[in-house]
Amino acid sequence: MRARVPYSASRAKFHPLWTCHARQPHTRYATAAPLRPEIYDVVCVGGGPAGLTLLTAIRSTPATSKLKLALIESQDLTPARTWKLPSDQYANRASSITPKSEAFLSQIGVWPLIDPTRLQPYHHMRVWDGLDSSSQISFSSPSSPIATMAENSNLQQALLQRLEELAPFSTFDSTKVASIEDGPSPSSEDSLDLSSYPSLTLSSGEKILARLLVGADGLNSPVRTYAGIPTRGWDYERHGVVATVKYLERNNHHGDNKSVIAYQRFLPSGPIALLAMPGNYATLVWTTTPSKAAKLKTLAQEDLVALVNAAFRLDNVDLEYMSRLDGGHTEELNWRSRVAGVEEDEARIPRWVDSVQQGSVASFPLRYRQTDTYVSSRIALVGDAAHTVHPLAGQGLNMGLADVQSLVNTIEYTVKHGGDIGDEMYLDRYNREMWMQNNRMLGVTDKLHKLYGIGWGPVVGIRSLGLKMVDQLGPVKGWLMKQAGGIGT
Amino acid sequence: MVAPRLSALGNCSRLARGFHALRSYATSSSSVNPTEVSHFNALASTWWDPHGSSRLLHLMNPLRHDFISSCHALKPHSTSQEGLRYLDIGCGGGIFAESAARLPNTATVTAIDPSMGVIEVAKQHARKDPILQEPGRLEYLNKAIEDLEVPQLPKEQYDVVSLFEVVEHISTPAVFLTSCLPFVKPGGWLILSTIARTWTSWLTTKVVAEDVMGLVPRGTHDWSKYINEHQLRAFFEAQDGWGANGGMKVLGCVYVPGIGWRMVAGGERWGNYFFGIRRDP
Ligand SMILES: Cc1cc2nc3c(=O)[nH]c(=O)nc-3n(C[C@H](O)[C@H](O)[C@H](O)COP(=O)(O)OP(=O)(O)OC[C@H]3O[C@@H](n4cnc5c(N)ncnc54)[C@H](O)[C@@H]3O)c2cc1C
Repeated sequence: MRARVPYSASRAKFHPLWTCHARQPHTRYATAAPLRPEIYDVVCVGGGPAGLTLLTAIRSTPATSKLKLALIESQDLTPARTWKLPSDQYANRASSITPKSEAFLSQIGVWPLIDPTRLQPYHHMRVWDGLDSSSQISFSSPSSPIATMAENSNLQQALLQRLEELAPFSTFDSTKVASIEDGPSPSSEDSLDLSSYPSLTLSSGEKILARLLVGADGLNSPVRTYAGIPTRGWDYERHGVVATVKYLERNNHHGDNKSVIAYQRFLPSGPIALLAMPGNYATLVWTTTPSKAAKLKTLAQEDLVALVNAAFRLDNVDLEYMSRLDGGHTEELNWRSRVAGVEEDEARIPRWVDSVQQGSVASFPLRYRQTDTYVSSRIALVGDAAHTVHPLAGQGLNMGLADVQSLVNTIEYTVKHGGDIGDEMYLDRYNREMWMQNNRMLGVTDKLHKLYGIGWGPVVGIRSLGLKMVDQLGPVKGWLMKQAGGIGT
Repeated sequence: MVAPRLSALGNCSRLARGFHALRSYATSSSSVNPTEVSHFNALASTWWDPHGSSRLLHLMNPLRHDFISSCHALKPHSTSQEGLRYLDIGCGGGIFAESAARLPNTATVTAIDPSMGVIEVAKQHARKDPILQEPGRLEYLNKAIEDLEVPQLPKEQYDVVSLFEVVEHISTPAVFLTSCLPFVKPGGWLILSTIARTWTSWLTTKVVAEDVMGLVPRGTHDWSKYINEHQLRAFFEAQDGWGANGGMKVLGCVYVPGIGWRMVAGGERWGNYFFGIRRDP
């Protein structure tokens, strides 16, 4: 257990933006008609995957289903509700959902509502070293998929749909949290004392009080700032470039889900991955330096296509050369791959990418963050608000879902034992369960990133030896695969 | 040798609660001496501090509910339609009373303690929760059980009468327990938790907690007052109309650092334990 930041002191001094006015006279409350703000059992800030799953899980659990809930989301949720794309287009933000996450989403009634035609399970993974292509490691899971690719929007829509089936709650969308402060001081010596309840002022001017305030509000979590919980970490000096791509059509191929492979190659600047979507489509996630990422985004479509194909085929030296070009990548690739004699084998490397979906290329800065604790009095953090992980293991969203599952178990336990769901001592159960587990995952992905960021001879030799050894060692490989599939721990 | 040390910790904090109850039950509630009051006042301010001296009691609280549920599971309850009526004797700062009052199948909780200071702490803390402010849900009385009017009708009696960490501080437990009995509704349960008088508990509470670690003032514990499970059993066997048809349950519990409180079958023979007995319907 980590030492906690002194609560009130840090609240007051931490970030001037999210101020704490507890010790100032509450003239507003005293003078105006004492209309008390609405008190909610759970106020969730953030309607991303973590926040929506939290509300769904609370509503789907009998013991907690009657809690009074509020959601605050700065974006308009209407487009997410009515989201629809034709079958030849895929959103660029897709995540691999592990079997553990899938089981949880099924349990709370969400998984059956996801559009199944837009899901792609995969049973195999190929991972190899960009500097030593001979050391490929392959994972296979014949019976159940390693994970299933899903667009974040598909998941979000299913969550919103499921929430509509369940008991209603207050949604404040297109609404930002303007400020958070401590609740009003009691008006007399024996009246209700809500001073420990976080009081939120919304951009609409409305005020609400929370018995438990959950920050599912992403990387820059205002809830975390209010609680004065420090977060530690660094920016990777890397960006993740994402895009939806289409493979070249294949002749006489029977789409068999069981043969679908996820590919990842560790280049010195970061891993590049192609994760299959249904049909001939795939999601590209290319982690690279900010300058290279900026360059990738400005390239003409066919040049980008050639560079992606090159990234899975050519030596790093050739690739480095190609990525400095401003155009003519296709000819360069044709020439170089012929010289290198690249053997096309789908079991080893992905098929040729044919095109990039218009407007799907985007990039995100990558970060490593872990907060000192996920809870304090009347506060809990989940998802990216609590931790941000390098996307190379595809775990960010899954870790957020695991947080939610654990937090809702904790809330259920508290309700069943007559506790106050904002009581830190109960919330600590959630922190104890998830903090170390996430820390391990954060550490592993961070170390992989660093290990593969090195282009120095001996290290490359050692790590490719490592990959080969891992490939031959059944149990170790099994463990790694479980981690990737989230069925470990 | 992990266990002794653990129950030492469990016990010294547990003590915080029982301490003030001590003489007030034995004599009269007005005879609280100034040293006790100041000792208690120091405790009172940290009663609800999650890192304060009552932390282990807070952590133990869910187990109390688990134990009560397991008693109810033995003999399905008939009166649960209107909800359960609780009487918490020696309620301290209200850790158990508040939690019982929040449960959905609770009709009302009456919680009493002879010490004015703790009742004040309990009342202050209950102000933080609008649910607990609902009329009739939770009532604190600054009284000893002897001062409470003995109910005559079953509807004035209680489904659950609880005595958590109290009896080991009473000089005449038999007299004290006898005065609690009429408050239990026929078919209802008397639930208590305490610590066994064994070499382990002597070592952990007298030697480790008081002498070696100085966690509690010397002489706070009177080991000779500790009550073993078989003594309780004998007491109730001598009563008419209690514990028939398997209406009795005993379970030990132990605190393990880093893990928390755990129920341990057989633990009643050497450390903390729960005891539940049903009044025959
Ligand atoms: C390139 C890339 C690829 C990734 N690939 C994968 C993958 O394959 N698998 C995987 O599991 N994860 C992946 N992730 C990570 C995953 O996308 C995130 O972990 C996930 O979206 C976090 O969900 P969240 O709900 O915690 O936060 P977010 O999705 O960030 O949601 C936070 C929400 O809070 C709202 N909000 C913020 N501030 C306020 C405010 N003041 N008031 C009101 N609302 C507010 C925001 O509008 C937003 O909707 C990837 C990430 C990146 C960058």
